[in-house]
Amino acid sequence: MVGVGFRREFAEELISGEHIRPDFIELAPENWMNIGGYWKKILHRVVEKYPVLCHGLSLSIGSPDALNKEFLAYVKAFLQEYKVQLYSEHLSYSKCDNAHMYDLLPIPFRMDAVQHIVSRIQQVQDYLQRPLAMEIVSYYTPVAAEMSEIDFINEVVKRSGCQLLLDVNNIYVNAFNHQYDAKAFIQQLPLGSVAYIHMAGHEQVAPDLIIDTHGEPIIDPVYDLFEWTLAHLQPVPVLLERDFNIPEMAELQGEISRLKNICHKQWKLKDELVA
Amino acid sequence: MNLLPDTYHIQQTFSDWCRTGKKVQLPGVATDRLAHYRRLVFNNIHDTMENAFPIAFNNIPTRKWDKMVKDFFAHHACQSYQLWKLPLEFYTYAVEHNWDEQYDIPYLNDLLAFEWAEMELYNMEDIPAPAYCIKGNWLDTPLVLNPEHRLLSFRWPVHLKAKRRELMPRKGIYFALLYRHPETGSIQFTDLSPWLAFLTEQLAIGITVRDILDYAPQLNITDTDTLESDTLAFLKEMQQQHFVLGFQS
Repeated sequence: MVGVGFRREFAEELISGEHIRPDFIELAPENWMNIGGYWKKILHRVVEKYPVLCHGLSLSIGSPDALNKEFLAYVKAFLQEYKVQLYSEHLSYSKCDNAHMYDLLPIPFRMDAVQHIVSRIQQVQDYLQRPLAMEIVSYYTPVAAEMSEIDFINEVVKRSGCQLLLDVNNIYVNAFNHQYDAKAFIQQLPLGSVAYIHMAGHEQVAPDLIIDTHGEPIIDPVYDLFEWTLAHLQPVPVLLERDFNIPEMAELQGEISRLKNICHKQWKLKDELVA
Repeated sequence: MNLLPDTYHIQQTFSDWCRTGKKVQLPGVATDRLAHYRRLVFNNIHDTMENAFPIAFNNIPTRKWDKMVKDFFAHHACQSYQLWKLPLEFYTYAVEHNWDEQYDIPYLNDLLAFEWAEMELYNMEDIPAPAYCIKGNWLDTPLVLNPEHRLLSFRWPVHLKAKRRELMPRKGIYFALLYRHPETGSIQFTDLSPWLAFLTEQLAIGITVRDILDYAPQLNITDTDTLESDTLAFLKEMQQQHFVLGFQS
């Protein structure tokens, strides 16, 4: 299954299904909860047509602040109302000192942060009565790290029992920005916990820095890393993210088709080997 | 909480940097890359305000506008977990901090209120209308109004004019009615006279047109020859526009 992030910019095209036809759509509950009017009608139409996965923005799992129970109640109701099959969030923080930042800030790779996050993931999973898939986020500088990124992620997954959202572009970006081997990094992840994959484009802003923009087409080396990664995974849903600089639908559908072809090639081969 | 004070402090320092852009000391951080976080976070807030308040953004000098957004984001703890609702906090912050005086934009509060009302109405949850009939007695049957509306009063006609030079000489009392079209979801607005604003306010609480007309002399409306016919003409027009939905059933 290859889906696409639901954006208002191409909502009508998704509903018509004429030029773009993903297997599912992904949306951020924060952008759609408590909405009425035109966009609620559109939301209902798109949800009738496609299965829905949700990718949250405001949970702020790594925040020093307490979890927002009112927000979680809205999320739970939203996931139930729209029969959402998977809920993912970011392994980062976006709120501190009671102030939302509306962006993904890097958590210090430290053991006390691991313990803090594990406890919060478990609280959320217990409340929502479903596993959380946590995304390994792109980051541009480590902050006061006392352990490696891979150890940090592995400890969080092992201790919390959460699933992983493997954003292959993020791994590529991080490997480039922090000069490590993306494949070696992926091999060290608990790949059995991967429940979902994201793919996106990025922008190189300096010789040694890539920003994860979701505003460009996926580049070939990221497709290559994706294909390599699939060979190590069981089949999971794959999402194309495109949040800015939206192209013609034929171009987006082209990316979806390319991702589907790679999935088919890698996972069909795996099925045949298993058989 | 399992976080050690040091880790907590580091996270606070990092987020402070994103909010204020004021230089910070953080262990293990590449300072040139830290700048990207401030840029990305702040641009998101700036874009949100630009999109929510396009008239203000296009008519307030850039330096003033940028200073407002920076001031707001640095000193206000943003509360909404839904980014689209943050402009309400910006507007509230502007009122509470007398930005109209500080930035010498006397009509600022009116303008932000108008633009926020448009965004809020467009996005807000559906409000079911009470049951109504299409036909009834315009004078004696309470009317059912589209509940998805806002009646706003202004000191400057920000719903009619955008330029400072056009607004400044026109200080007075103005009313605007904004409502969401029940079928398309688009936001319509219309300028109202003080009488029509009063009428709308009273209709919304279930008073009949006849009772409202009877009250007109107490508002010092003495020229009542055409008041009834003008009022009914307005209401019939607003029925065509989907603001008056019908008659209480």
